Amino acid sequence: MPTLRLTVNGQPVQAEVEPGLLLVDLLRRTLNLTGTHIGCDTGQCGACTVMIDGAAVRACSQLAVQAQGAHVTTVEGLAQGGKPHPLQEAFTECHGLQCGFCTPGFLMSAAALLKANPSPSEAEIVDALEGNLCRCTGYVNIVAAVQQAAKLQSGSKA
Amino acid sequence: MSATVEAGRFGSGQAVRRVEDPALVAGAGRFTDDVAPEGQLHLVFVRSPYAHARIVAVDTAAAAALPGVVAVYTGAQLAAAGVKPLPVEVPFRRPDGSPFASAPRRALAHERVRFVGEAVVAVVADSPDAARAGADAVSVDYDELPAVTDPVRAMQPGAPVLCDAAPDNVAAAMRHGDAEAAARAFEVAAHRVSVDVANQRLAPAPIEPRTVLAAFDAGTQRLTVRLSSQMPTGVRTGLVATLPGLTEEAVRVVVGDVGGGFGMKTGIYPEDITVAYAARALKRPIKWRAERLEEFLAAVHGRDVMSRAEMALDANGKVLALRVRGLANVGGYASGTAVLIGLLIGPWVTTSIYDIGVIDLHLSAVMTNTAVIGAYRGAGRPEAIYITERLFDAAAREMKLDPAELRRRNLIRPEQMPYTNPMAQVYDVGHFEQVLDRGLALADWNGFAARRAATERAGKLRGRGLASFLEWTGGNVFEERVTIDVTTDGTIEVLSAVQGMGQGIATSLAQLAVDVFQVPIERIRVVMGDTDRNNGFGSAGSRSIFTGGSSVRVASLRTIEHAKALAASALEAPASDIEYRAGRFAVAGTDLGIDLFEMAGRQDEARIHIDSTSTVAGPTWPNACHVCEVEIDPATGAVAIAAYASVSDIGRVVSPAIVRGQVEGGAVQGIGQALLEHMVYDSHTGQALSASFMDYAMPRVDGFRGFKTEFDQSVPSTNNPLGVKGVGELGTIGATPAVVNAVIDALDHAGLGRDAERIQMPVTAERVWRALHKREFDPAPLKDLKG
Repeated sequence: MPTLRLTVNGQPVQAEVEPGLLLVDLLRRTLNLTGTHIGCDTGQCGACTVMIDGAAVRACSQLAVQAQGAHVTTVEGLAQGGKPHPLQEAFTECHGLQCGFCTPGFLMSAAALLKANPSPSEAEIVDALEGNLCRCTGYVNIVAAVQQAAKLQSGSKA
Repeated sequence: MSATVEAGRFGSGQAVRRVEDPALVAGAGRFTDDVAPEGQLHLVFVRSPYAHARIVAVDTAAAAALPGVVAVYTGAQLAAAGVKPLPVEVPFRRPDGSPFASAPRRALAHERVRFVGEAVVAVVADSPDAARAGADAVSVDYDELPAVTDPVRAMQPGAPVLCDAAPDNVAAAMRHGDAEAAARAFEVAAHRVSVDVANQRLAPAPIEPRTVLAAFDAGTQRLTVRLSSQMPTGVRTGLVATLPGLTEEAVRVVVGDVGGGFGMKTGIYPEDITVAYAARALKRPIKWRAERLEEFLAAVHGRDVMSRAEMALDANGKVLALRVRGLANVGGYASGTAVLIGLLIGPWVTTSIYDIGVIDLHLSAVMTNTAVIGAYRGAGRPEAIYITERLFDAAAREMKLDPAELRRRNLIRPEQMPYTNPMAQVYDVGHFEQVLDRGLALADWNGFAARRAATERAGKLRGRGLASFLEWTGGNVFEERVTIDVTTDGTIEVLSAVQGMGQGIATSLAQLAVDVFQVPIERIRVVMGDTDRNNGFGSAGSRSIFTGGSSVRVASLRTIEHAKALAASALEAPASDIEYRAGRFAVAGTDLGIDLFEMAGRQDEARIHIDSTSTVAGPTWPNACHVCEVEIDPATGAVAIAAYASVSDIGRVVSPAIVRGQVEGGAVQGIGQALLEHMVYDSHTGQALSASFMDYAMPRVDGFRGFKTEFDQSVPSTNNPLGVKGVGELGTIGATPAVVNAVIDALDHAGLGRDAERIQMPVTAERVWRALHKREFDPAPLKDLKG
């Protein structure tokens, strides 16, 4: 079995993995990081989105071994030093979630967006979240939350 | 701590942060698949590739021999072991007077399969991969039978028969109203309109797939089933009814976080029974997590009703009668839920907010080789309201009247309350004209011409659609039990049998407890989802706050009353002198007092415990006015929502942000039905053609988000102590007809006239383009129906 070395949420991880193991199963089953959810198994709903080296990636459509040497961030790694990420604050504040099952995927897609583009336009937010499905909210408050997070983030840096 | 401050900050009517959110945004929710006990085995189903077939033979030997495979179960084995079919209690009859009929639905199909995706074999292995490999190695020999997916064809002689007791495939049928009176009304009517509408089949598609984890404890001999469900007690009842020798005492159903329900996660599923059976047989924890394909194929679908609907009006536009012939395609097995939804719940609201005295409804539930129909957000009301609202627009077009004006002439007046409709349903309160007027004002109804002109200058078409309606809520189960425990650690535990599935019920219930206890919301701990602790109907039919919330208020008041007596004794003062404020009892006019939580510490088991059961008087009748404007690009036929306004009367509002989220999120689901969603089966083979998120189009983030949403709180329900009305389904019910009426208005204005009414849902770009440029429409859904 290949030896996999990667960084997950800032922690080094080393594991012997089956070549066919999906990244999402490494996270959920091997590392017990169950915040990354499986909604469709086929990369169509976005619930399993994580960041790999800063980019939003579907963990259900990627082999664990493809993350060799990479920095993976999951929803559990968003908060820094016990302080929620501005997106986590904003989703709560704006009622950007109902059942919360799709939420980690939205948070990670939005986190990747804000990393690359700290003050995105509404159209850029919509574009970045186009691959994530939510059945509860109608997306109204999700977009509002990302806008709010961008504001929070720029405020904290100012 | 001041009482007014706490109730003011966290009580009902206040916008609070949801108590559910900190865990969910941190990825620390506890959905069923997040729980993985040591030694958990994995179950995978082998599903039927055929819509209709006899099972000739099942060979599981190769699968059983694979490494990691622990057990393989077939339908024959389960039947031989005494596993019974899913219970169906349906007090309906077939057209010939014989009892309701459906083939028995089993945990695993036995002898015959009746829809693509029906579970046939279960493979249990020590890893998901091994279970999948085992499933691939199972060999099932099928004798394929002709399939039928269209209910009209299913009723014709010579069609494939799904159940011998129903040679015409009609599971049940009902007639409501007075056919003769309706016929007379249509004879004398000055205006008659009819519409042929298909309320297409939908996939509820919550993002969390169904997941079941069952474990058997050898020590206690008890079975624990953890799953994603809206009705834990109903699941327990279903397991006890189907698994041999299982008693209610020997099974516990536990529900953690639920990733969306929308009615789809009500009651027992065949898969639940199989997983529980395997856990009992193997005495190991066993998990099944549905893949998305399985959810599209084998979770219940919603809607799928075809109707010819007619309205008779006098010269002034007063509706004289409504007549509907409807077929509900209930799928391969007729569930009690599907028949009830199609034959009774829909009819309860067919006359909606309108004073219509005469109805003639003839409705049939027909079995076809498609997935089983169940509850989906609205469950019968969207189908009925869609018909009524389409008819009002058709009549307004026919009479060249403003559609709002025609509706206004038929509204039930406040002074007619309580009002009994032709289905003997009693509305307690409602001021429908006020809601209509507020909706029209919010939408700037009268300013539409200018907006249409602006759109047309840009080369597009603009239409405006209205839906003003009510719905029934509650499941007609009005009793709820709540227990309250005040403990010395400063928390008040509120135990309810309603079940959160993402709406934020825990937050709303906590707010209602804060109203009474006047403590910060952090001190309230709401517990749901454990049949060892509490049982009830669960959450469905928009009942949770008006039944469950009312019972929390009653239980909280009873707790204070009980504690007041304890305080009187502790403070050696008459109970009449004891005042409660913000977590403290005091003797009026003195400094003497005792803290609520401190007093809990002085009681047996160091807690104040109240076990409270209470009922509400009846259902609630939330109502709303939705106005939608659409823009259509004539070059492509693409429809875009341009404006959307709604005013909802849901009585008193407990959690403002939550109810707004319910209405707007619900409206997006209704828009999904109007414009995008359709669960499609191939009519020859019965294969599902839209069984993935790439094929089944759901609203995405690029859809409309600019809702104007208001609430009218001036007419509280008189059927419950909170004055609230249900809200969960209201937005979905209103949005579908509002959007379609707007599209038809645009097409009418583009020159199609009443022909525009022939367009069917989902109103895709292709359908609009064909209507605009070729005058082509889908055939009327019931054109070939005889009788």
